[in-house]
Amino acid sequence: MSDTIIKFDNVSFAYEPEDEEVVRAVNDFSLDVPGGQFLAVLGHNGCGKSTVAKLINGILVPNKGKVTVEGMDTSDEEKTVDIRRIVGMVFQNPDNQIVATIVEDDVAFGPENLGVEPSEIRKAVDSALKAVGMYEFRKREPHRLSGGQKQRVAIAGVIAMNTKCIVMDEPTAMLDPQGRKEVMDTVMKLNKEFGITVILITHYMDEAVKADRVVVMDGGRIAMDGTPKEVFKNVERMKNLGLDVPQATELAYRLRKKGFKLPDDILDENECAEAILKILEVKK
Amino acid sequence: MLKDITIGQYYNVESPIHRMDARMKIILTVLFIVSIFMCKSFEALGLMVLFTLIVNIISKVPVKMVAKSLKPIVVIVLFTSILNIFYIRGGTELVNWHFIHITTNGLFTALFMAIRIVCLVVISSLLTYTTTPTVLTDSLEKLFAPLKLIKVPVSTLAMMMTLALRFIPTLIDEIDRITNAQKARGADLDNGSFMQRVKALVPIIVPLFVSSIRRAYELADAMDCRCYTGGPGRTRMKQMNLRATDFVWLGAALVYFAGIIVLNYYFKAVLVK
Amino acid sequence: MPILSMQGVTHLYNEGMPSESKAIDNINLDIEEGELVGVIGHTGSGKSTLVQHFNGILKPNSGKVIVDGVDIWSDKKATREARFKVGLCFQYPEYQLFEETVYKDISFGPKNMKLSDEEIAKRVVSAAAYVGLKRELLEKSPFDLSGGEKRRAAIAGVIAMQPKVLILDEPTAGLDPIGRDTILDMIKNYREKTGSTVLLVSHSMEDVARIATKVAVMNNARLEMYGTVDEVYSHAERLREIGLNIPQISKVFEILKKNGYDFGSVYTVDRAVEVLTR
Repeated sequence: MSDTIIKFDNVSFAYEPEDEEVVRAVNDFSLDVPGGQFLAVLGHNGCGKSTVAKLINGILVPNKGKVTVEGMDTSDEEKTVDIRRIVGMVFQNPDNQIVATIVEDDVAFGPENLGVEPSEIRKAVDSALKAVGMYEFRKREPHRLSGGQKQRVAIAGVIAMNTKCIVMDEPTAMLDPQGRKEVMDTVMKLNKEFGITVILITHYMDEAVKADRVVVMDGGRIAMDGTPKEVFKNVERMKNLGLDVPQATELAYRLRKKGFKLPDDILDENECAEAILKILEVKK
Repeated sequence: MLKDITIGQYYNVESPIHRMDARMKIILTVLFIVSIFMCKSFEALGLMVLFTLIVNIISKVPVKMVAKSLKPIVVIVLFTSILNIFYIRGGTELVNWHFIHITTNGLFTALFMAIRIVCLVVISSLLTYTTTPTVLTDSLEKLFAPLKLIKVPVSTLAMMMTLALRFIPTLIDEIDRITNAQKARGADLDNGSFMQRVKALVPIIVPLFVSSIRRAYELADAMDCRCYTGGPGRTRMKQMNLRATDFVWLGAALVYFAGIIVLNYYFKAVLVK
Repeated sequence: MPILSMQGVTHLYNEGMPSESKAIDNINLDIEEGELVGVIGHTGSGKSTLVQHFNGILKPNSGKVIVDGVDIWSDKKATREARFKVGLCFQYPEYQLFEETVYKDISFGPKNMKLSDEEIAKRVVSAAAYVGLKRELLEKSPFDLSGGEKRRAAIAGVIAMQPKVLILDEPTAGLDPIGRDTILDMIKNYREKTGSTVLLVSHSMEDVARIATKVAVMNNARLEMYGTVDEVYSHAERLREIGLNIPQISKVFEILKKNGYDFGSVYTVDRAVEVLTR
């Protein structure tokens, strides 16, 4: 982990700021994201998590407080392009972010906009497509791809711009399990192998479990912040916030309440089965 | 299924015509269209037909595919031919029976028109058979680039065209989905009077508009995030480079063009004034 | 007599083209009245194609589709009747909303059935109640509703036709846990109150485990299994083989079984707690 890449300083944002009645989408929100981190922002619909995503690279600008990307203030319009070079964005609907009729042309769109040399663009596009495992599909038409493949093309479009950070706003919400897995595997790879900072906005707990850090949002504020193990052990709290916990965690929690001696930070099936086996062995 | 349609009618094979620079293809197509209307003698017409056939063969696009693109114009060709046969006077009279007068001028005009239209359609559909819509858009952008000097937003127009091409399949798919959903609610799209059918489209058109607007907003955000400004300073990954072979084609076309002029000059025009 | 029945149904995609393929292949299936059937299978397995045959949106290339004892392709009237007997709610149904008010939108189906205004009013109100839409929302524009409300309004539009069979294709897709739970509870409650047959097409074996009575598993255009939830979920290994994501709890019990502790088929947390505390 290196220095802070993204910083929220007491940020508030409302879609209709004049209207006092309307609740703020993001309310006095502060967050530091160190470079290289895989951060999941978890919350139910309307908790403000998508607004946070849009505040990061200046699609929205705070009413109060300050968002900075590598020290650059997002409200400074002269810095917008520089900020978007650092922070790329992937959206929910894969169809609505692909601009070209051929996969490789779409991936080239960002670098082209930045005025990169054609031969450099070609290199960036090829390596981005290889990184997301879509190189063999480079000549295809995007509308003939599956949802997961389209989303990987969108990710390639971001990394071809040589971004340091990817913000993903519910990138798997419209995908089937296979597509979700493809996207998550790609995200993990980019984070672990290429050191790209990932901010994943989601309401799927099984995706948040894979992150280095989970921030749970509610009512535009941070409700919890910690490692997945630290966050998910608060089973009651999570349920009250309208979120799921892994079934293994829930089972362990409920068994603990019945007097079983199980650890409180179980997340996956192996940990859960192991702990239960220990107890069963003792009983025998 | 609807979404399996191909946009444009690109026919994917390797051929010298496919490889030709698209800008050159567009220029040569225009040149050819000019030549079509210059043909005045049978000899020139014959050369024009021969040229069309040769290009078709080199392009490796099956004759069947080309014939398919002629289908929609058959009626027009027949109709104009018949009109020409009966209404154009001059030259030698061939038939004079009651109200029917047929002259050589009428017959030849009909023949010339029919052949010209067919060749025109064949060559221009070869352009779209051998060039993808994307490349076509890019080359139009390049060809019209000088218009930027008089403040025509050529790049923006080309971007709009690309986006339209990109979203046609998506929207067709969407129409398909909405139609099925409304049918499942008992919408009857196939029966009733004209007005009833038009009214029955409302449940399809409204959701289509709503979703298109939503898509447009999301797309705009996505393009913003990828630093699209619409301004200058944008480069392109795929550069178009004219190669030696493109100039060979240009040469061949000019020789053909000269041939048409020569044949028109040396042989007598078919239509007598 | 089963309420839905398929006899040797095959449906081809791109018929007559080189890319011709079987979307569903020789399906034989009987569904009894009152069941809540979960239809599962990976994308492209044919599950959506399967259910679109029951209301005649798709026509089989061979085989018979029988709804409530009537072959729906026997004549035009039977086909049209199938539309109303079997209410089909597509994926992301909120994208079909089009009227000025939620009320008008829900009444679209009943209007197409040529019912009286009085009957339509009754049905709209009761359908809205089933999906938990408050009365004051009925006069709003459907486009002003929240995402979850839009989805429920669209489902109400199908329920208002009072079909004997309600089919929902991925009704929880893209919803957050609260939205998902609301819809699942609503489906369960609707079936218990009306006694209707319900088919739930889903990717989520957890969702299906929670509310279904029977499960149909599609794999490569064929019906792989059909049986009670217990029967089907006990074949965890096979389900995994055909690319399905079995619930995490089943995975836990698979491991326990491998280590010599067999608790039978366990696929919900409730059941897991029950068998372990016994």
